[in-house]
Amino acid sequence: KGQNRGERGRGRGGWQGGCQSVSEEMPKYITVSTFAQARAAEINAMLKAVAQKSSNSLVFQTLPRHMRRRAMSHNIKRLPRRLQEVARKEAEKAVHQKKEQSKTKCRKARRRHINLVAEFNRRQRKNIWLETHIWHAKRFHMVKKWGYCLGNSPTEKSYRACYRAMTEHCLLQDLSYYCCLELTGRENELLKQLARICSIDTGLTFEEACCLSGRFEGSLNLYRADHYPEDMLGPVTFLWKPRDGSENRQLWIWVHPALKQDILRELKAIFQCSEPEEIYIPEPVATSIQEEKRMDVVLTLGKKRKKEDKEGEKAVPVKKIIGDGTRDPFQSYSWISQTTGIVISDKTMEILRYRLIGPLSHSVLTETLKAASLQTEMADSETELNNWWVENCKDSEKVSLHQRQSAIFELLEGISSPSEMPPGTILGLTVGDPRVNLPKKKTKAVPDFEKYQGRDMHQSWSCAQWKPLSDHTDDPDNDKVRQLYLEGVPVDCAHSFIWDQDICKNVTENKISEQDLNHMRAQLLVPGSHLDLGPCESKIPILLVQQPGKMAGEDRPGWGSGWDIYLPKGWGMAFWIPFIYRGVRVGGLQEALKHSEYQRTPHTPNDFPDSQAGMQFAKELEATLLEKFKRRPPAKRANYVKLGTLSPFICPWGQLTKNWEVRMKASGEFVPSSPHRERCATEGHSFCYPKEEVVKEASPKTGEAEETMEITSSEGALKTEDVTGTQDFGERDETMTTNGFIVLRSEKLLMQLSAWCYPTAGRDRRVRLISRLGQKDMTEDIFLPILMSYPRALVWVNLSLLRKGNPELHAMICIPTEDDLLHLSKDKLFCGPQEPKHRDIFKHKVQKLKEEKKKKKKKENMKALEGDPPSVPDKETTEEHEDLILGLWSDALPDVTSHCSRTLLGYVTRGDFSLAAGCGEALGFVSLTGLLYMLHKQPADKKGLVLLRTPASLQYRFARLNIEV
Amino acid sequence: MVRFKNRYVLCEVVSEDPRCRQCIEDRAVGLAVRDAIGRVHGDYGLACCSISFTVKYLNAYTGTVLLRCRKDSYRLLCSALPFVRQLESRNQRYPCFLNTLHVGGTIRTCQKFLIQYNRRQLLMLLQNCTNEEERRCIQKSLLSCSLTEEQSQSGDEEDDDGTETD
Repeated sequence: KGQNRGERGRGRGGWQGGCQSVSEEMPKYITVSTFAQARAAEINAMLKAVAQKSSNSLVFQTLPRHMRRRAMSHNIKRLPRRLQEVARKEAEKAVHQKKEQSKTKCRKARRRHINLVAEFNRRQRKNIWLETHIWHAKRFHMVKKWGYCLGNSPTEKSYRACYRAMTEHCLLQDLSYYCCLELTGRENELLKQLARICSIDTGLTFEEACCLSGRFEGSLNLYRADHYPEDMLGPVTFLWKPRDGSENRQLWIWVHPALKQDILRELKAIFQCSEPEEIYIPEPVATSIQEEKRMDVVLTLGKKRKKEDKEGEKAVPVKKIIGDGTRDPFQSYSWISQTTGIVISDKTMEILRYRLIGPLSHSVLTETLKAASLQTEMADSETELNNWWVENCKDSEKVSLHQRQSAIFELLEGISSPSEMPPGTILGLTVGDPRVNLPKKKTKAVPDFEKYQGRDMHQSWSCAQWKPLSDHTDDPDNDKVRQLYLEGVPVDCAHSFIWDQDICKNVTENKISEQDLNHMRAQLLVPGSHLDLGPCESKIPILLVQQPGKMAGEDRPGWGSGWDIYLPKGWGMAFWIPFIYRGVRVGGLQEALKHSEYQRTPHTPNDFPDSQAGMQFAKELEATLLEKFKRRPPAKRANYVKLGTLSPFICPWGQLTKNWEVRMKASGEFVPSSPHRERCATEGHSFCYPKEEVVKEASPKTGEAEETMEITSSEGALKTEDVTGTQDFGERDETMTTNGFIVLRSEKLLMQLSAWCYPTAGRDRRVRLISRLGQKDMTEDIFLPILMSYPRALVWVNLSLLRKGNPELHAMICIPTEDDLLHLSKDKLFCGPQEPKHRDIFKHKVQKLKEEKKKKKKKENMKALEGDPPSVPDKETTEEHEDLILGLWSDALPDVTSHCSRTLLGYVTRGDFSLAAGCGEALGFVSLTGLLYMLHKQPADKKGLVLLRTPASLQYRFARLNIEV
Repeated sequence: MVRFKNRYVLCEVVSEDPRCRQCIEDRAVGLAVRDAIGRVHGDYGLACCSISFTVKYLNAYTGTVLLRCRKDSYRLLCSALPFVRQLESRNQRYPCFLNTLHVGGTIRTCQKFLIQYNRRQLLMLLQNCTNEEERRCIQKSLLSCSLTEEQSQSGDEEDDDGTETD
């Protein structure tokens, strides 16, 4: 009986479980005491049940309507007193969800300019704010990335509008978060070391003549010193300062912030720059002068500020942070080498960079910027405003240079699209204050049709690519435009004062504040007329750099070209607003991603899986995707085990390449006959000489084996060669411990591969291509050496879907079987084969684990009831198994290539419906070995056809694989 | 918000035979009630009543049973309850009848009613008791339940917004 009571006494469960079975030893007669006790027990159980709050509603919701009061949810005292205790507990529970009411000051005080600036400065201390931050924060979804606060995408609906801006008008983007590393030193010293971190194989190097002269901007991929093709650091763009007679050259290397630390460390290592240069402390003198000036302005405006009255003269207004707010002022940001005198300085946030994308970007530029007027007299002898410019204007040579530069800049208007300029053209310029000629209303900048009537002004890319020169009238202006079009910008025009640090500082410090400018505007006699500042107008040195847009591939050449504009810091908003007033659209990180996707270029750091930053990015992406996946209820998730997707959140590149290597070795498919073998060995080495050096250094054994091979006759060579081959592989395994794979970036090989990817038969397309590219046929003795020398390589490819389908992130690229291809050629509407459903082999495990956990919990509860502390090893075991999630592959990955019915070739890193191409397009990497294997096997007219499957689907779709170089 | 409205019928199993308590279990009670409805109202009535019909609570010691059915058909149920004459389980059948105590709109009101009802019963018992030992026993049990009441006083008081009963 006591037992029964105990059962009933378990609170709520007690009364619900009240349907007890009657035990056999039930008394057969009624006594008063049992009767009474039974009633009492029931009353207890009922009381408990009634006392419990039934639903998960708040306390005040249980009150009848006539007792409710307005502010009950905020103010506990509005509740009846008997409920206040419960409500207080509830409020405490919910307090962490509520936003903290931290502000002690009232809103008016908080919004006062001084306090606002102080607050902004405080918030900038952790993450760097761009100068356009406030503007962006009002219009964009902001994300914290790479130590910056960046606009991700506009809050308004603008996906298609941004694409249209890119293709037809102009898209503006703030790229100031890119970091500039400045190298100063003698040219040959710089080049000698820089040659170690890049390779001629991948395209440009720092030595490229046209870049070295400072005429063009170049872009290249950096590797760890002497490690090419392994240990990728990341892509950079670089500019040389044009030669100006002095011995030292200046080089700017622009890197993505995610790569900055790696590259900076490597640069410091190769130049042996460990010595920090003398600490640069921003002189307080200059700032205090400005502050005083500001104080004066404030005081003349009328003594409104109570703060100053209260605290007297000592109250120093807070200064707005310009540049990097997170920097420690006492830490040095430049390093000097003792032996060579080379200086590396980190100029993060010192130079701003805006990017204009679109065919009309230079009409926006020409409308916004006006070349600075010459000035021979100082406006005010006290200030330093424009003193560098005045000095400059005294030199006739420099004046003529400025005039030539501005002439070329004005001619830009006559060119219909930036893609017509040679890629990477640099034009230096000195311009006046762009705020002065701000239009009254936001207008759309369009090219002036009247002025260049002879030329057909096209706004679309398709027509802009080819223009017969004879069409032009003999207008002298047109002649000049044609000349510019043919010859590009001359070298000397690339010079700009932005390279000079002192001038930049002067320009930044002597900027007329927005307030003063507005004040002067208000005092104009005719409201709204043009404000002529005369000699007071600031002159700003800038640099314009052409961005080439889409260069590889056949369709849409020059798509997405535009101009980059480099400004000295502090002038961000002064240039930003005038650009906005010319009708440009502003994009964020997402738009930049789309831009590079439509251009089919790799994006930093998403598409560099072999660099540190790329790996880091992939890991973060996996974590977020997994988190998102876990948030769904298990029944509503895709079961990736059943779908045959081994790793839906991260691409196992290392595993993929390794599996392909093993596969090739095991199948022996490409083991050639003996005469081939020798040649392939030699050619293989010639194909990748740096690689071979690495191998040789690492393995004296291989060298020995090779020697023996030379001695022995050709018949006997087979065996030894085999041995060396395997040894080679072994050695490589050791050398490639860091990543396990490389990404093929050698232009020569990529060209070759690209030619092979086209169908040979059919429309007879390939004959044309071969004749054009001068490529060899795909025979064994050509591709075998490639295979041998790059056993674990990835190739960057782009895929466009033949029919339906929309590729997604981490979609799988697979090899179609012969049946699939046959089916495709027979049935025009065939979408693609289906993957048979897999069995979830982990389901039982997961369930068992769950049950065990439940049991353990129960046990622990019991123990806790008994008073025992839970034993420690128990917990550890439970944590070990925590990562078993239903629907995900939880073991070590098996052979990824052969897990599904179609052999896996690679993964998609970015894929979406392409507005530019009008079909689904994807970018990704495939294994080089797999690609060659597939191309070799495929019939001539079906070359380059692959299957795509998104991770959460069983449907394969046909796609065409392309390699664009 | 729209919900299905139910009626909860609180009844008491009264039997001469103390052994009857053995067969008070939810299956037996449910079957007996269904049987009675079928006899009185026919197939139609049985079908009407059996929508969401369950025995929500049952206490064999006190013989309390809480039945649930839809609001539309509770009259059919209530009118059939007097026709339950016996309970049958484990091949034993004992004569008994059901005494309807209360019909409520929520379980909560039924619980509240049950508390009051039981308390009243105990008090009646206290008044009618004959010897000293019984008196002590009843007092003790009364005190025991009032003690819990004091503990959960705040909770008890919060529920004075009684939902309307039928």
